[in-house]
Amino acid sequence: MTTPIVSAEHLSKWYGQVIGLNDITLTVPPGITGLLGPNGAGKSTFMKLITGQLKPSKGSITVLGEPIWGNPGLYFRIGFCPEQDAFYERMTGLEWVAALVRLNGLSEAEAAETARRALQMVELLDAADKKIGAYSKGMRQRVKMAQALAHEPELLILDEPLAGMDPIARRKTIRMIKEWGRAGKSIVVSSHILHEIESMTANILLINQGRILAEGNVHQIRDLIDEHPHTVYIKADHTRELARAFLAYDDVLSLKFEDEAVVVQTGRPDAFYARLTDLAASGELGSIHEVTSPDDNLQAVFQYLVKT
Amino acid sequence: MPIHDQGYRRYGGSKAPLGQGWTVIARAGIRTMFAKRAFLGLLLLSWFPFFVRAVQFYAAANLPQAALLAPTAETFRQFLGQQETFVFFVTVYVGAGLIANDRRANALQIYLSKPLTRAEYVFGKMAILVTFLLLVTWVPAIVLLIVQMSFAGNFTFLRNNLFLFPAITVFAFVEVVLVATTMLALSSLSNSSRYVGILFTAVLFFSSAMYGVLRLVTRSTSLSWVSFAANVDQIGDLIFRQPLKYDTPWPVSLVIIVGVIVLSGIILERRVRGVEVVV
Repeated sequence: MTTPIVSAEHLSKWYGQVIGLNDITLTVPPGITGLLGPNGAGKSTFMKLITGQLKPSKGSITVLGEPIWGNPGLYFRIGFCPEQDAFYERMTGLEWVAALVRLNGLSEAEAAETARRALQMVELLDAADKKIGAYSKGMRQRVKMAQALAHEPELLILDEPLAGMDPIARRKTIRMIKEWGRAGKSIVVSSHILHEIESMTANILLINQGRILAEGNVHQIRDLIDEHPHTVYIKADHTRELARAFLAYDDVLSLKFEDEAVVVQTGRPDAFYARLTDLAASGELGSIHEVTSPDDNLQAVFQYLVKT
Repeated sequence: MPIHDQGYRRYGGSKAPLGQGWTVIARAGIRTMFAKRAFLGLLLLSWFPFFVRAVQFYAAANLPQAALLAPTAETFRQFLGQQETFVFFVTVYVGAGLIANDRRANALQIYLSKPLTRAEYVFGKMAILVTFLLLVTWVPAIVLLIVQMSFAGNFTFLRNNLFLFPAITVFAFVEVVLVATTMLALSSLSNSSRYVGILFTAVLFFSSAMYGVLRLVTRSTSLSWVSFAANVDQIGDLIFRQPLKYDTPWPVSLVIIVGVIVLSGIILERRVRGVEVVV
């Protein structure tokens, strides 16, 4: 059996009378693990506990086999990218990363070289000598990641690394995270967006209201979700004709019209989406402009899971 | 033909062991301050009294008609007293932003996710301020002592005042540690270095003003312990074997000084955290 990267036993954290995490017991295996939960679910509390920035109120937590609280030596093996920006805007990206790398015990010259390599890894070397104040949101996220991985940690902890990024930066970052995973790094990455996590890893931890709701393979959790009616919102040229066509499908449970869209509840979303794609490609019923699913909203997913 | 690996090369050099992170913080801070021209100007200005005293010592040693200017232990006590003005300005200039700027930039969370303890972080920050404060107190006073010996061409003064070296050292240490811990504690309370500077000035002047009022009301100097500066003066006079200026017993001043240092330590312990928990 592989040694878990993170192991928590009856872990709880209270902020006064407010509970942040409630009696969590889990193990995180090596590889990429996604921590998924809506805002306020306890993700950040969990991240702060596994980075040793908060002391557990109850229970214990070990990272890479050692207790993390009060164990700064462990930070040689961990890289942390916080959600919040943490910059001196007047420093260049290279200066900032090099200064932080120095704290990992590297000499000045070595730190500068290591920082350059890290910036190259996050594809930011061209902007290394620009002031951070002039960086875009995506560049800021990447420079934060550069400082986290510069010292070649065994474990990378990334707190909402895709937050605020544009789609292209997001795609690049997802690709980088997957590459690091393939290169043998263990990564714990948090997000409140299911498909972001799905695109990085199949192994997820679902967290809500301070408790772990589910853990394991995202597809199993998807199946669990798919047992429940799935709502699809379709904007098209001819919604009434579309609705008539949908009525012939036995997996369509209900239909209604909202503004210029038809809202469908289906029991088998995969089959429904496949037929919808065929329908759109054929053009028989005019153009389909927009297909959205409020079920992609994580809160809806959690509501489903909590009800089961 | 051998083909060289062009891929990513892992760092294979040595890494400093845990416990030396404070030197990185201190060095970076000191370098940042030395890069500021205004600060260099302030440092130069703070050495002006030194040059005045050096001229005085030269005259006393070489001109018979200037024998009146011959240095005594009190001269060194006065010199360090004069330097208190520069101690104030250097403390505000260097110290106000030491932690406040990190708090404003959210840098603490990142710093403390590196192999660096909170104590090391505080120690590194303190080392920056202590270095510059010693540059305006201990260093010029010791150099002045050496200058005196050089101009006099003998060790007579030093032999007669052997306690001066430890006195300068102890007084500079007490003053610098008190001021540095207080300023760091204040700096940890805010995200604004300006506000911290104002707060430090207010603490200093308000405590002195309060003592002034109490002295007028009570017609006594026995309540001088309420003044930050008076406590330092009282201990300074004691260390330099000078008559005490105030009626406050010196142990009271010492307890106040130690109390302020301890209180500052408690504030730092509570405020210097990677994550601020507001309950």
